[in-house]
Amino acid sequence: MSGLLIILAAFFLPLFPASLVFNRLAAGIQNPLARLALFIVWPQIGVFLILWGDLAPAGPVLATWATLSAIFYAFRMLTVREVGRWAAMLASSAWPLVWLFAMQGPTEADLIAFTLAITAAPVLMLLVRDALARRLEAAYTGLHGGLARDLPRLSGVIVIATLAAMALPLFPGFFALLAVLGGATLGVAIGILLTWLLWSWAGARLLQATVFGPRSGPIAADLPVSTTWLVAGLVVVIVAAGLLWTGGAV
Amino acid sequence: MTLPLGRGLKIRSMVHMAAEPIPNFWPMRTFIHHNPLHGLEDLPFPDAVEQGEALFHGRGFLPRADYQRLLAEGRLDRDTIEERVAEALAERPALQEIGGQDLLCTLLTERREPVVTKRTVADVHDVAGALQGRPPSDQAPMDVETLADRLRGCFPAERPLYEALDLLFDTRIGETLDELLIKTCLDFFDEGQSAWKMPGREQGLFTAWSALARRNLRLFLRGLHIKRILVQSETPEGIIAYILDELGIPEDVWQDLIVRELTHMHGWAGFIRWRSTASRYYWSEEYPADLVDFLAIRLVLALALIREHARRQKMPGNRAELEALITERPAECYLRHELFTGGVLPTHAEAVEDVVARGRPAEVAAVLARYLPAKRRAEGERQALALDDLAQLAGAPSTFRELDEERLATVLDELAAFEKREGMLWLEAMEATYRRSMLGKLRLTPPEPREKRPFAQMLFCIDVRSERIRRQLETIGDYQTYGIAGFFGVPVSLIALGKGSEDHLCPVVVTPKNLVLEVATGAEKIDTDLYSSAEHLLHDLKHSVLSPYFTVEAIGLLFGFDMIGKTVAPSAYNRWRHKIESGKPSTRLMVDKLTREQADSVVRALQRVIIVRAIHQEFGIERESITDAMIRELREAAMENHVGQTAFARDFALSESAESKFIRTLQDDYRINRSYAQMQLERLGRIGFSLDEQTYFVAQALRSIGLTEQFSRFVILTGHGSQSDNNPYESALDCGACGGSHGLVSARVLAHMGNKPEVRRRLREQGIDIPDDAWFLPAFHNTTSDEIRLHDLDLLPASHLVYLERLRNGLRAAMRRTAAERLQTLEPETDPTLDAVKAARRIQRNTVDWTQVRPEWGLARNAGFIIGRRHLTEATDLAGRTFLQSYDYRVDPKGRLLESILTGPLVVGQWINMEHYFSAVDNEHYGSGSKAYHNVACRLGVITGNLSDLRTGLPSQTVLFDGLPYHDPIRLLTVIEAPFEHARTAIDGVSKVKSLVANGWVLCVILDPETGRLHRFVDGEWREEALPSADIEATDQPDAEEIPA
Repeated sequence: MSGLLIILAAFFLPLFPASLVFNRLAAGIQNPLARLALFIVWPQIGVFLILWGDLAPAGPVLATWATLSAIFYAFRMLTVREVGRWAAMLASSAWPLVWLFAMQGPTEADLIAFTLAITAAPVLMLLVRDALARRLEAAYTGLHGGLARDLPRLSGVIVIATLAAMALPLFPGFFALLAVLGGATLGVAIGILLTWLLWSWAGARLLQATVFGPRSGPIAADLPVSTTWLVAGLVVVIVAAGLLWTGGAV
Repeated sequence: MTLPLGRGLKIRSMVHMAAEPIPNFWPMRTFIHHNPLHGLEDLPFPDAVEQGEALFHGRGFLPRADYQRLLAEGRLDRDTIEERVAEALAERPALQEIGGQDLLCTLLTERREPVVTKRTVADVHDVAGALQGRPPSDQAPMDVETLADRLRGCFPAERPLYEALDLLFDTRIGETLDELLIKTCLDFFDEGQSAWKMPGREQGLFTAWSALARRNLRLFLRGLHIKRILVQSETPEGIIAYILDELGIPEDVWQDLIVRELTHMHGWAGFIRWRSTASRYYWSEEYPADLVDFLAIRLVLALALIREHARRQKMPGNRAELEALITERPAECYLRHELFTGGVLPTHAEAVEDVVARGRPAEVAAVLARYLPAKRRAEGERQALALDDLAQLAGAPSTFRELDEERLATVLDELAAFEKREGMLWLEAMEATYRRSMLGKLRLTPPEPREKRPFAQMLFCIDVRSERIRRQLETIGDYQTYGIAGFFGVPVSLIALGKGSEDHLCPVVVTPKNLVLEVATGAEKIDTDLYSSAEHLLHDLKHSVLSPYFTVEAIGLLFGFDMIGKTVAPSAYNRWRHKIESGKPSTRLMVDKLTREQADSVVRALQRVIIVRAIHQEFGIERESITDAMIRELREAAMENHVGQTAFARDFALSESAESKFIRTLQDDYRINRSYAQMQLERLGRIGFSLDEQTYFVAQALRSIGLTEQFSRFVILTGHGSQSDNNPYESALDCGACGGSHGLVSARVLAHMGNKPEVRRRLREQGIDIPDDAWFLPAFHNTTSDEIRLHDLDLLPASHLVYLERLRNGLRAAMRRTAAERLQTLEPETDPTLDAVKAARRIQRNTVDWTQVRPEWGLARNAGFIIGRRHLTEATDLAGRTFLQSYDYRVDPKGRLLESILTGPLVVGQWINMEHYFSAVDNEHYGSGSKAYHNVACRLGVITGNLSDLRTGLPSQTVLFDGLPYHDPIRLLTVIEAPFEHARTAIDGVSKVKSLVANGWVLCVILDPETGRLHRFVDGEWREEALPSADIEATDQPDAEEIPA
């Protein structure tokens, strides 16, 4: 029974090749709200499944599998140009880390919080994806660069979301990575650090292909001020929640 | 493979021809303003701009949105726009029929984007359908054979193969190739910046690089088999021929391909082009290189990269394979091209990316079948939307919807043709605004002749920055100012104190014949003090290979103090530094020609000094132990004029062999020999100017500005230069007429000549009577602070010393007033009522502030060039935008002086103007981008980041303000005050200037003082026009001094 739960969980906290299901779903759903819901709910189902199961017997195998899955999808992020798919790859690279954290015996609340923490960045990227698609027909990097000059507010949001995706300090992803690194074996820690490095590299490439450089592409309206404030508020909430969680307040 | 001589020469001449459009790039130590399209100046301006766009991918005009902003600010003439639109409309009947005047004016002034959009698959039927709301066709617009033909058209044979691969496979071979080539250039062309030098440079670029590349493990590990290519030929020409044959490039397009390869990195190519032809340039003499070497290396690397990709990723390795690929898989190639050129429909990008990654023909065909109709629809709709938007803005929404397809096609063609040429229309409107404003300010009527001579006459450079201070000087005191090219018409080659190389202090179009040597007076002690020694030691530690590792730990804190001082309180810190640093010693210039005897004596004196050092070095014998006779005898022996034992050998008991050995050492190591002495004599022969030359240059300078009488007590020759810290572009702010150097030396040279009694006597015979109490005094105008510092005061006659304080007071006051005026342009938020003293202090700070990216605006906003008498512009605020060349046609009946002004100063002014023009319209391509990302490369230029082409042109901080043009990009408006025929003949007499005027690189106006009429060169002919009117501010006549009897 436990083995079955773990295999089932591998679809929800995606481990390659079970991760193909999530990525197909993420690519297939066109409704932005439905896609957001998928990103938030999908890994939590996996969390509940592994909470019911027993990871100990398959620990070393699972750790290797999860680490390799994380590295593989982090590497795929370098080659993907559609921001929605990029967000899905980020999620597919981040969620295997839940397995590694779960093996360290956290509380139920910590595991849920950890999962939310590493889900925040892909969710922010989904918002970016929709904002880009609405203005430039598609959120495809490299077609329309240099947005910083004409769309400063949207560019600011892209930069913040990408920094979150790169798991930089203050963002919950950073503290989540510190938490999982704290209890990892040397081999796994190297794998996690490599994943982190690839996220940063992919993030830098994404910024280079969208925000910076000479402006190209059609004239488009910038993000409304009210929406910018809303996104800023959301970012503050995410950062604050991350700090509260790692500070032990929750 | 040995290449036949004829073929080698053919390749060499192809490279030479291909480099013609590439502008020379001079090392930035002496920044030379130049026209980036100098090689295309024989074409009319609009055509050259178009060709420049094709060659250098740079824009020739501002984007429409920028012109619209200038129009809103009143910097553009709306009437001219309407006139030009009407003229354009006359040739476009289809547009006329639909109310073209309003439509085109609306298009220009209200729509930011072009109205004609790019259509690759949609035709006019699709546009008409979209306009009329017809459902789009689902038919594919073309078959795959047509697609294949189009692709072949995209990749003509003269296009480098790697570009095709990059666009079809996203390989970035071009980027990698540039990086590898730039690294080679940085290694080879280094002029003392690197601690470790590239070995074998003295053998030339290609040979040195080949030797290294053959055993470069890093290249080998990347799969680049350079060696296999290099074994094909020993010579760069042979390698070029082999590679082009290997790639399957037909020989008839080699020339075009070479043009593309060289213009791809036109910064390095321009530098190599200049360097290979520069005379007496130390680095090129030591380490030769030319564009054939450069091209050969580029092609070797390109072929190696192509082969590596072809092997690893199954791509075409030559043109035949590319052709086969397009023929066999046209659909996939088309989709690849769409995706990797960025032309893909955003909504289909993901699907296209997936399908080309998998490469399955059936899937490719399916996606193409969906993609082409979608593309056709999208293009049709986008065009229709743009037309509808324009019609709405023009207040006639149905204008385009009512047109049938045939008329719509004509209208679209006419609109496209109009938009292609709209840049000239904007430019002319901008120029009209400036022309009216500037001409309206000129005062034609000469003032009454002066009864008394002025307190001082000051000669300034024609540079636009002199205009403000000249105006302020004339406003506050009895100063008469003149404008003359900053080298004062004296081409000088200078060997400065402590330097071994020559600097040419004259426009780059002139090669100086005469050499001037700067020598220390010996008034100051030149002992190396403790501070200087410590500075040298630190410098050496920083630049060696290993020492920085421990230097940072040991003394890094010292640099920290330096950094804090320079950042927090630059002015105070700099003053303190000056107190502990030893300044430059006082010097004299050797301006007079040496006689044969004098030169011989100088050589003998030098040889004696060297012999004394040699004796000390070889035997440890001090000077007091040897006599002059011994030294003379040794010298004679070394020069082979003495046979037998020398007194030195006798007194110090040297054996015959030891004596012979020492004599040989003197001859070989210390160069005391006949041939070297002869060479020294020849060099000394170049030093100085003969009396005839001195008289000629002084007379020429004075006549050219019309100063032939009423000489003041002080005739101040003001050279100029700039002072800033941490600024690789400092020399760009120096004097262009002095070859990008300071103008002080030129001023000192002319002052020396002008003060010479024998020169004055000869001038008197020519009718230029300089009174005995007139003294030519050199001065230096620091254009960053506007401070004017007087030089060579120790030579000033005692009779003049009493006037010195008055002179200094006046100069200081003018400096402060100018600083207050300029501060508003540098810091627009400054309170306009700010005290002049405080303003001067803030301006002064820019000379030492290492964080300041814009110490001064330099020549930005230059727009006019006035050749005429000062009364035309006196008391008129020209806002520091005009070159002012003094000229009085009455003293130049044959027009020779005017011709020389047109040949030198005007051409230099045009280069400066065009450099600013193109740097402002497209700073990324023709300018050098932001200074913030610049790094000095090889001590000769700057690059962006750690690897880029050499950045030519001006940085954004020089021509842009907050990302928008500060410099008004317009062509130089030249005004000549002279009788029409006199001026026209002079223009026709200088073929270069005639061509510049005829081709529209310079705008020309002749102001005839005798008829009061204005003649303007428009559309290939001179037209008489009325002078624009404007209110001229009246000024007070300054106090005057009495003219001595």
